[in-house]
Amino acid sequence: MKNNHDTGHRGLFRTVALISAVFAMVMCVLIVVNYIQVKRTDPLNTPVMKALVERLQGNPGDDQLRQQIRELDLLARKAFFTTQWQVRMGGYLLFFSLLIAVICLKYLEMREKPVPEAPQGEKTDFWNDRNINRSWVAYTGIGIVVLALVLGTLTHLELGKRLEPAGLLMGGNNATFNAGNANNAGNADNADSGKRRVAVAVVTEGYPSAQEINANFASFRGPGGDGIALKQNTPTSWDGKGMKNILWKTEVPLPGFNSPIIWNDRVFLTGASETTREVYCFDLNSGKIIWKFPVDKIQGTPAKAPVVNKETGQCAPTMTTDGRRVYAIFANGDLIALDMDGKKVWAKNLGLPANHYGHSSSLVMYHDLLIIQYDQRGAGCVMALSGKTGEVAWKTSRNVRISWASPILVNTGSRMELILVADPLVASYNPADGKELWKMECISGEVGPSVAYADGVVFSVNDYAKLAAVEIGDPPKLLWEDNEYLSDIPSPLATGKYLFLATSYGTVVCYDARKGTKYWVHEYDTPIYASPILANGKVYLLDKKGVMHIVKADQTYAVVGEPQLGEGSVCTPAFASGRIVIRGDKSLFCIGKP
Amino acid sequence: MKKIRVIFIFVVLLSLQFMNAYGVQRFPKPDFESGYLQPETLQPSARAGLLAIMDVSVLALALALVSWLVLKKRSRTGVFWTSVFSLAYFGFYRQGCVCSIGAIQNVTLALFDKSYVIPLAVLAFFILPLVFTLFFGRTFCAGVCPFGAMQDLVSFRPQKPDPRLNAVLGMMPYIYLGLAVLYAATGSDFIICRYDPFVGIFRFNASFGMLIFSGTLLVSGIFIARPYCRYLCPYGVLLNWASRFSWRHLTITPDKCIQCRLCEESCPYDAIDIPVVDLNPEGRSVTARKLILVSLLVPFFIVLGGWTGSRLHETLAGVNGKVRLAKILLEPERYRDQPEPFEVTAYKSSGKPLTVVYDEAAGVLRRFYTGGWLLGCFIGLVFGMILAGRLLTRYSTDYTPNKGACFSCARCVDYCPVEKNGTKEVKP
Amino acid sequence: MEETAGDPKLNRREFIVRSIRVTAFLGLGGLAVLVAEKSGSGETVWQLDPSKCIQCGRCATNCVLAHSAVRCTHVYAMCGYCDLCGGYFKPGTKTLNTAAENQLCPTNAIKRKFVEDPFFEYTIDEPLCIGCGKCVKGCGAFGNGSLQLQVRQNICVHCNQCSIARSCPAEAFSRVPAKKPYLLKQITLEGPKSGG
Repeated sequence: MKNNHDTGHRGLFRTVALISAVFAMVMCVLIVVNYIQVKRTDPLNTPVMKALVERLQGNPGDDQLRQQIRELDLLARKAFFTTQWQVRMGGYLLFFSLLIAVICLKYLEMREKPVPEAPQGEKTDFWNDRNINRSWVAYTGIGIVVLALVLGTLTHLELGKRLEPAGLLMGGNNATFNAGNANNAGNADNADSGKRRVAVAVVTEGYPSAQEINANFASFRGPGGDGIALKQNTPTSWDGKGMKNILWKTEVPLPGFNSPIIWNDRVFLTGASETTREVYCFDLNSGKIIWKFPVDKIQGTPAKAPVVNKETGQCAPTMTTDGRRVYAIFANGDLIALDMDGKKVWAKNLGLPANHYGHSSSLVMYHDLLIIQYDQRGAGCVMALSGKTGEVAWKTSRNVRISWASPILVNTGSRMELILVADPLVASYNPADGKELWKMECISGEVGPSVAYADGVVFSVNDYAKLAAVEIGDPPKLLWEDNEYLSDIPSPLATGKYLFLATSYGTVVCYDARKGTKYWVHEYDTPIYASPILANGKVYLLDKKGVMHIVKADQTYAVVGEPQLGEGSVCTPAFASGRIVIRGDKSLFCIGKP
Repeated sequence: MKKIRVIFIFVVLLSLQFMNAYGVQRFPKPDFESGYLQPETLQPSARAGLLAIMDVSVLALALALVSWLVLKKRSRTGVFWTSVFSLAYFGFYRQGCVCSIGAIQNVTLALFDKSYVIPLAVLAFFILPLVFTLFFGRTFCAGVCPFGAMQDLVSFRPQKPDPRLNAVLGMMPYIYLGLAVLYAATGSDFIICRYDPFVGIFRFNASFGMLIFSGTLLVSGIFIARPYCRYLCPYGVLLNWASRFSWRHLTITPDKCIQCRLCEESCPYDAIDIPVVDLNPEGRSVTARKLILVSLLVPFFIVLGGWTGSRLHETLAGVNGKVRLAKILLEPERYRDQPEPFEVTAYKSSGKPLTVVYDEAAGVLRRFYTGGWLLGCFIGLVFGMILAGRLLTRYSTDYTPNKGACFSCARCVDYCPVEKNGTKEVKP
Repeated sequence: MEETAGDPKLNRREFIVRSIRVTAFLGLGGLAVLVAEKSGSGETVWQLDPSKCIQCGRCATNCVLAHSAVRCTHVYAMCGYCDLCGGYFKPGTKTLNTAAENQLCPTNAIKRKFVEDPFFEYTIDEPLCIGCGKCVKGCGAFGNGSLQLQVRQNICVHCNQCSIARSCPAEAFSRVPAKKPYLLKQITLEGPKSGG
């Protein structure tokens, strides 16, 4: 009796399991079909709909058509949501039917648990199985290696090699510029380990990596000299008089119009009078002068300081550093390399430049080459000196008039270019060997502002000349020009989208970088001499009275803050993480949250 | 007023057609005269943090319960019902996240990325099952892991897999683990979560492809018990290692094995080591020679694997977003005729210099180069060890669970007629 | 079993196993301490930063949920209550009414309500919103940017790795503390409209 009952019981469960399994299968097929249908159609963009809308646009008064579109739209939406609902319901039904099937089968499994029974016949052949398994493990290993190699070879794009030189001043492996460091010779794949060894073990050798350069502020207008500080959380409010958010303030012994540069926790700048020239190293954290170095006893230094313009001074060029040494140049042609502790490495005099206002082109580093723009009357040139020894690596003469602008070093995505500006042209050189890459005649006069660069476009400007946007290339292409607002001292600043131009009469203009249309113009009452710097999406414009106008780098003019230094300034600020270093007329300020 | 506003908007509309200015107060907030009250912006909060404590407690309790059921109570039924509970709780209620398998990646990321803060609950999910396994074997797999529970439910007709299939698929978990760690360490992706086959079922929501994958796994799971656990699960690799050295492990028999062979086919996972008494027909010295050869070759396997991995590093790095972006930016000509990729649009609006992008990508690539070497070395080592393992034999006369592979599901226990003090009656 | 005790080979084996077990245990402990040192008890959730978002539309399609957990959120405090709303109307719309052909939103999830002349209130019907970001783009381009995409934490299933984050072209997604799970842009800057 009991047995009979049990059998019926089991039969029921078996039937239920079977039915729900079949049902699940059907659901599965339906869902797949539905899914493919839904995937294929975009209910609101059917061709019929599009055609109707087009007709309506041609005939806006047709109310009947409008009604038709509305009805169709409603229908399409309804259909869409119905299919959605169907898929969802189908999913639930599938799941629950499977659940029922599993429950039934589990129940049967538990009820029908067979009486344990020793397996009949031979045991499985352990050794045979094991041998087969072992061989197949070996085959798998070979298979994996072959597959990986084929895949790797097929998809290998030499990306590493293409990216390394593409990075700005990449510490990449370029044997030519890395003589004396055998570790670095080798292919790009090995460059990694070699580089790290250089960076950690020997800091007087080699040159910094792109990361190091980007993390610091090693030259006039930041890494590469294009006015872009790659810093986050830059301060936006301070007060120099009330010493609010001023970390320290230190008087600079000798005057000078060069801007501070920052490497790790050290700040460097120079000061000079007619008789004395000095290099200073400040502690970024405390503001104390760590060392100062009087620049004298250099062979060939002219006995008397040159006559210079009051607004240029004896030390207008900003220093630069490669983290191994710092380099400074003065109006009389004195050039000096000091190590990070203020000991002289080498020094020379480049010859008194024929410059009636005073030499003011700042220095910039490419790898371990110190690049100097030395455009003087009748004998313009650009040259690169070995940072380690001061020997001339290359020198290219330039048929230009005197320039007071500074070189900038940019990465065009495929190569590094050194871009210089002087009456009458903007010219680009290969920083490795000094070969001219392209030039464009688009400027005139006594050029003060350096060029700006972003996304393949160079912007040059000079007072009584014009503002020109030049797409680089060989030949370069003039994109647009304008002469409504022109600058004679501050350099322009370009982001991919915008060009910001500050002028020495206090007007700031935001252009569309590609089209040259003006987004906004704002006039301040105070002149601006410092070059604007972009940091953290904001443009920092320091006026001559020491008010920092911080505006959003955006197409609408929006002030973020206008903090005051409490002292006049004509120097371009330098940025460190969370800090800004500004050279005022008398003192050096470090701004940041205590 | 209205007119002016409309006209002004039209002007803005025309002039800024393609601009994407964000969050600019172009229109001042109106001063309402009608007493209109501005609604609040609703910000519903996430699941309360307290529940994370509950998750960890449930995990610990379930682990303890299953361990007790397996080792003391020796109850398959108990383990089964605990696994059903775990499936319901960790699976359908908690929707599969966070799970111990995925936690591997969080721990790796925490080790390599200084800025990533790992929640303590996630750390507990990673550590607790491993600790329990060191003590009691893979009781986590038996009754706590929802993935295991799900597959265990459907393993109706388990077949003993072909030794060839076992060999090929047996390597997969190691590769999967290595890849998961590599991708997590480089901050590229959490591939275990990305290719998680069951989480879609728990959520009643998954991409079509993933549903196909999970369906395939479940259907094949009817015949090959627990396919994910045995041939994919990266956490299973760690548990396997830990379980080999477990303090107390499930035993088939509570007392002395009587060689009744009843348990021989009870294990759906092929995890019972059958007695090996007769010697290897190929002869002891041949095996020994092979073993010496393999051990000598292990360094070669490691180097070969590493080198192969390094050759693959660019392919592997393709998953990383930074590398992907740099690749697109390097080859603008490839996208000339297509609409601008979103990555490029986003890059342009970020205002990030190109050099930084290239630099970051080069950095990632270098990490992948090192990572490729390490991954390859790891796989080479595992390969060598597996091969050597196939040459070493423990001769024994008894049926014992293979401590590494055994999921402690206690099925075999049900079959054993031996009781602690003598023979138990086999229930009809 | 009795033989085991006396078998030196097995004893040695047991000793090795035990040492490895202890080592593994210590290793795990060490790992836990190392990682836990900087772990927080606070949970994190995924959120997207609207200031990085470019409204590519992947939020709508790449969520593990078929109906994405990313929805449009309206920050009323930033809204200009415009009659011609760049987030509500398709560009080029001539008649400012709620007709289907005028609406930018593909799911009719924005409700437009008259407040007082000339202001209109826009409300997101969250269950209808699919997070495609079309309105966000419109509002950002022509209006104040008060419509912003956000991961709605009550809908989000809090995956360990957000599948939208993985495919976001702007890298706008990040893990944020669960205590402050929204990254709405609230601050508004009022500057003079530029000439030019």
